[in-house]
Amino acid sequence: MIDKYSLLEKLGLYTAIGIFLTFMLLPFLEMFLASLRPLNHLFRAPYQFWSDDMSFQAYSDIWVTVPKLPRYIFNSIFLATMTTLLCMLFVVPAAYAYARFKFRGKALSLGLFLAVNMFAGAVLLIPLYKLLRSMGLLNTYWAMIIPGAAFLVPTGIWMLKSFLEKIPIELEEAAFVDGASRLYTLRRVILPLAVPGLIVVGVASFIGAYAQQFLFAITFNQERDYMPLPAGIFEFIGYQQVIWNEMMAASIIGILPVLFIFLFLQKFLMAGLTAGAVKS
Amino acid sequence: MQFFRRLMPSNGLHSTKFFAWALIAPAAAYMCLIVAWPLMETFRLSFTNAGIGSEEYVGWANYEKLLSSRKFPATVGRTFYWMFLSVGFKLILGLIGASLLAANLKGKAAFRVLVMPPWIVPIAIGCIGWLWLYNGHFGIISGVLQQLGIIDGPFEFLAYKRSAFYSAIVTDVWIGTPMITIFLLAAMQNVPRDLYEAAYVDGASRWYRFRRITMPQIMPTFVSMALLSAIWTFNSFEIIWILTEGGPRGATTTLIVDTYKTAIANYKYGQGATRAVLIVVILTAFTLLYLWLVQKVNKKYGDNK
Amino acid sequence: MTALSLGALRTNNKEEKNMKKLLTAAAVGAGISMMMAPAVQAEELHFVMCGGEVREADQKVIDTFLANNPDVTVNMEAVPWGTCQDKTMTLAAAGDPVSLAYLGSRTLKQLAKNDLIVPVEISEEDQAKYQPGILNTVSNDGKYWGFPHAFSTKAMFINCELIEQAGLPCVGPKTWTGLYNMAKAVKDNTGVAGIGLAGKDFDNTMHQFFSYLYSNGGSVINADTNEITLNSPQTIETLELYGKLMDVAQEGPTAFERSQIKALFNDGQVAMYIQGPWGRGAHKEGMKTITVPVPAGPSGVSGTLLITDSIAVFNGTGHEELAMELARALSSDEAQYDLDSSWGLTPILQYENGIVDKPYYENDDYWKVFVEPIGSGGPEPMFVDFKSLQAVINSMIQGMLLGEDSAENLVAIAAEELEEFK
Repeated sequence: MIDKYSLLEKLGLYTAIGIFLTFMLLPFLEMFLASLRPLNHLFRAPYQFWSDDMSFQAYSDIWVTVPKLPRYIFNSIFLATMTTLLCMLFVVPAAYAYARFKFRGKALSLGLFLAVNMFAGAVLLIPLYKLLRSMGLLNTYWAMIIPGAAFLVPTGIWMLKSFLEKIPIELEEAAFVDGASRLYTLRRVILPLAVPGLIVVGVASFIGAYAQQFLFAITFNQERDYMPLPAGIFEFIGYQQVIWNEMMAASIIGILPVLFIFLFLQKFLMAGLTAGAVKS
Repeated sequence: MQFFRRLMPSNGLHSTKFFAWALIAPAAAYMCLIVAWPLMETFRLSFTNAGIGSEEYVGWANYEKLLSSRKFPATVGRTFYWMFLSVGFKLILGLIGASLLAANLKGKAAFRVLVMPPWIVPIAIGCIGWLWLYNGHFGIISGVLQQLGIIDGPFEFLAYKRSAFYSAIVTDVWIGTPMITIFLLAAMQNVPRDLYEAAYVDGASRWYRFRRITMPQIMPTFVSMALLSAIWTFNSFEIIWILTEGGPRGATTTLIVDTYKTAIANYKYGQGATRAVLIVVILTAFTLLYLWLVQKVNKKYGDNK
Repeated sequence: MTALSLGALRTNNKEEKNMKKLLTAAAVGAGISMMMAPAVQAEELHFVMCGGEVREADQKVIDTFLANNPDVTVNMEAVPWGTCQDKTMTLAAAGDPVSLAYLGSRTLKQLAKNDLIVPVEISEEDQAKYQPGILNTVSNDGKYWGFPHAFSTKAMFINCELIEQAGLPCVGPKTWTGLYNMAKAVKDNTGVAGIGLAGKDFDNTMHQFFSYLYSNGGSVINADTNEITLNSPQTIETLELYGKLMDVAQEGPTAFERSQIKALFNDGQVAMYIQGPWGRGAHKEGMKTITVPVPAGPSGVSGTLLITDSIAVFNGTGHEELAMELARALSSDEAQYDLDSSWGLTPILQYENGIVDKPYYENDDYWKVFVEPIGSGGPEPMFVDFKSLQAVINSMIQGMLLGEDSAENLVAIAAEELEEFK
């Protein structure tokens, strides 16, 4: 009964959601429309929605204007995946430690990790550049993965810690009583229960990695073959003018893979986020 | 603590503390390398006049110059105004959004997915979309407003100081809302249903249930999201940079934009580093103040777990 | 650096361990192959070309150069303008300089002051070949720092249809009063913006201002004495012109830079604007336009802005002489003419003086407009901190466009701020 709404309430709710979603999606709609228009229509006032010369022409032109586009899209996904994996490698053990153990310096060290969030990567660019250069990693994929992962680790630790904290300690105790070693417990008992949390943190990290590639890519990497998509999009800025419609088309194509991946994983994401209402 | 004592074997090398630190060590080492060392270097640079050529030690000169400049207090104030306004809107919209999505409506799964794109899509790309929307002559907002007769001619949102600032806020809110919505939604879904049912049976209205059950229950998540969002928004760089690059005439120059402009765009690494250090100092002070306030509020209203 | 070694010791990260193994193996392998290689090593020149593409004319010269120097390879990197100069300068600052780079001449003073580039040698004979004023854009402290390789001047493009619609004959205004009246007539009679005014914080906003300033006898800095000369009645007059033109220009000038104004021009939303010689190719087919010199202000004669891009040779690469040779080859006589004519640039050299028989701009009315004012034009001011120069000038312009202060105050503040950056 608690979930039943009157007709008026339903109308109100749907309208509100409609407005909310319009706000969220309007830029994408505009980008899509812009990608369909030829350049001279784009720069035509007053504004008109439709015109006769709209077509998908831009979508075929982009592959010619920026020949390395497929490579850039691949790079984006590859970089985001590798960054997430590297990040999780550090996050999982640390989050477990923070969730389960009490030790001196726990709050302080956790606070220090979180303090990392206080710097945008933009601020540390020059020293990072020198660091990567001395490690010989400039102009490789690593140049973008290593800094990228670093800024995702603290948030990852915090998020995963709160998930792990929700796993009842009784389960671990039961395993120990049966004589299991600590590592065995971690592997066989905790990990499976932590999967929803892991997925949430993994997906959030992936999204974070995908979104922040730009800055590190343009500073630490000169190899066009390794460039991710956002950096590649800037190649649509020609000598005298910006080829807007193709830029929009390429952007839309570029975000499709991530959208699909997300669509696929969102069920797990929601399940993970809502898991934890464990009835003991 | 009984549990942990039982775990401690006689061999000191495998003590719990060691194990815990061993688990954290990789992450800590990584942070030291990628963040701590560049940070120390930044701190060191702030005392030099490093530029594109050589560098010399100049002591506190950079700090004196910055703190005594007439622009700096304005920039700090502007950054805080930016942060409060944007985070405020994000939290309110996030709360509204989460409530809407929590409602048991047909298609709610689809709605939840549709809310996500601003978060998933790279910020740079989303901002390019907003650039188009704000264009006075060719963008949809100006176009529609003109057709509705609300304005007479094209209006360039990013050309004037105040409209540029608020336009940037709108875009920043747009980017930050989905994540807050989803996390608040998750927190809402974790509220035990019995609480709601008990209240419903007692005749409580929806609003009452929201105010007295939902809000307090999601408060921990809300508070931590608010802090995280505040810190990120304070340092929000890409959005402002792509839309206005800090203009017009510094109207949207927050601390981070100023830092980037000085250090990277103008090659003044020393002076840029000074700004970076000040950002860290200010944010740390803010965080400590915030956490202290939260603690006080908690104590006052008691722990309701 | 201790943190680094500590971090290295403490790591139990598999990936990093593997990376180390890989690097060691690679180093050993490289060492072995180097020992086995013949004694003569190929010299590699790293050449960064700003603009995102290598032009045919340049490529031809490079190919010839390679043919004449079999032990040399040239690593050409074409980088779009948006990131090119920053990248090149960052590389040089970090101790990793490229061998030579084609970039904007405005960067030369800073690179020179920080010892990142070497002065180039241009013989007396060659110096005389350049159009007047060009070498000013690459000189500092009595030396030349780059080979000018691309040159542009500015003129005014007018949409005749709109002018005639407003009831006026399509003739270029000669004075600023004439300019204002023409723009006002268009605005009043057709409702379309009379002139395109750039006000966004972009380099071409500053350039547009200088086009007007140099047509009013003004200047920014004295290249010989390094004195700031911005604070003058001529500058105030120019700024006040902006204040007047604002009323008859397109809406929201502070959001516009030149390429956006060009879009408006193509769409018939603006009747006139200042543009470079590439304008002819950038405008819509079939548009009735005329090109005229920038109108003269009350205190000067019609002038223009001289901007060059040049090839600079970087310090510390070990093969500066070789790089200088290539740079010189790219920018001399026939090679330069090849580039100027094929790319539609304002001629850098005075080709009519015996270098080429019938240069492309001879007897062409369009080119006359861009070539004649060279003598009365001024260079893009050479500042060490060229980015701050742009910020200060644009801030001054925007202050006027946003109505925040009087012209006198804005100019005075700007002149004062520039002292720090020269």
